[in-house]
Amino acid sequence: MAATDGERNKLEFSLDVPFPSSREAAIALRSLSPDREPRKGGISKQLTVSDSTLSVRWSADEARILRVSVNSFLDHLSLVMETMEMFGPRCPPQ
Amino acid sequence: MTVVIGFEGSANKIGIGIIRDGEVLSNPRRTYITPPGQGFMPSDTARHHRAVILTVLKEALEQAGLKPADIDCVAYTKGPGMGAPLVTVALVARTVAQLWGKPLLGVNHCIGHIEMGRLITKANNPTVLYVSGGNTQVIAYSERRYRIFGETIDIAVGNCLDRFARVIKISNDPSPGYNIEQMAKRGSQYVELPYTVKGMDVSFSGILSYIEEVSHKMLSSGQCAAEDLCFSLQETLFSMLVEITERAMAHCGSQEVLIVGGVGCNLRLQEMMGVMCKERGAKLFATDERFCIDNGAMIAQAGWEMFRSGQVTELEDSWITQRYTCLYLVSASGSLWEMNVILEIQNGHLWLNDRAFCSTKLEPMFFQGPPAKRLLIIRNSSAMSS
Repeated sequence: MAATDGERNKLEFSLDVPFPSSREAAIALRSLSPDREPRKGGISKQLTVSDSTLSVRWSADEARILRVSVNSFLDHLSLVMETMEMFGPRCPPQ
Repeated sequence: MTVVIGFEGSANKIGIGIIRDGEVLSNPRRTYITPPGQGFMPSDTARHHRAVILTVLKEALEQAGLKPADIDCVAYTKGPGMGAPLVTVALVARTVAQLWGKPLLGVNHCIGHIEMGRLITKANNPTVLYVSGGNTQVIAYSERRYRIFGETIDIAVGNCLDRFARVIKISNDPSPGYNIEQMAKRGSQYVELPYTVKGMDVSFSGILSYIEEVSHKMLSSGQCAAEDLCFSLQETLFSMLVEITERAMAHCGSQEVLIVGGVGCNLRLQEMMGVMCKERGAKLFATDERFCIDNGAMIAQAGWEMFRSGQVTELEDSWITQRYTCLYLVSASGSLWEMNVILEIQNGHLWLNDRAFCSTKLEPMFFQGPPAKRLLIIRNSSAMSS
């Protein structure tokens, strides 16, 4: 759901990710937050958690930059979720 | 007993190792191998790592016979390396650290190599030659500090070898360097190449350009064989490395050499270094491919030492960094302190600006060596850590 912000002329994108519990959502937030966007400027990304939902909001100058950032975020997110499934308390590895 | 699990994935290898007080319990690894003539690109490498990392983690735990509850600390490579693969590995490390309720510790990849080499070989006070696809440095341990005595001023020695392999389409399986080494054994004719030692430093990019330019001409005209080029390149590059290592040893009166990094498992390099050491009455220490080439245990080992000295990395500080100079020191008690800090220049000396560091009551840091070069390194590293 990309939309153009008339005032600042920015592309905006937002994503809500439901987790089984607030603990998992908080873990995902802290795993996904530390790394900054690789490029300087042109894009910003904000992660927040409320209850068991992780919300991400992007704001970018160009669609191309936004696509790269969203793509790589989704790759990262699915890796974190797979890690939780395999090594989380619900499914101990042994 | 302290058990540390280490995650490494800064280049095309993904490895996870578990160390319990100096004992390697498990150290599984996978390598992303590209077709001949191709290097590994960051995004493809990251995709490879994502696909296998959880399997490797499972293997590491199973081979060690441990449950997550047995682990005391989760160490991962903070840098230097390729951004996308580093992030992949850091994500899993951060997630399991939280799931298992264990402290996290970001480790400098270079330090991992050195500490693993020291652990395996039991070298006491070595001059370290760190040679890999991304790094070429001579590091000497003097007065409780690791100092970079010499390094490449352009590309790493392993990068020079890898890129030469691509030019003449040598296989990347198991690694281009290994295949060059095998071909070099069958080389007989020495082709003269540029020899570029500049004081304590070395330069490889000119040698690479030269051999790239002449190789096709010489091969197609039958002037020499590919094996001869492999042989000549190895002899030239390794002679340069032996020369700067010997100079660093003479500087600090060291009687030990430790070779670490992926290129360090090249037996011809070890042989040439051995000849130099014998002439000087010094001892050579090297490890085989299990520990020379990037692996998880080396990150666990450096992490083990840092963890034992009381360091941890908070999640919000656990970002990865593609550039990360090998700056750290060993306190009077022998514990390892990583210099993940801003360095300042005052009165011509370099000062550390870090609370944890000050609390150990060590003297302010100050480097010897050519001032201009050292300042350049420090500027880079302060820009990196800010």
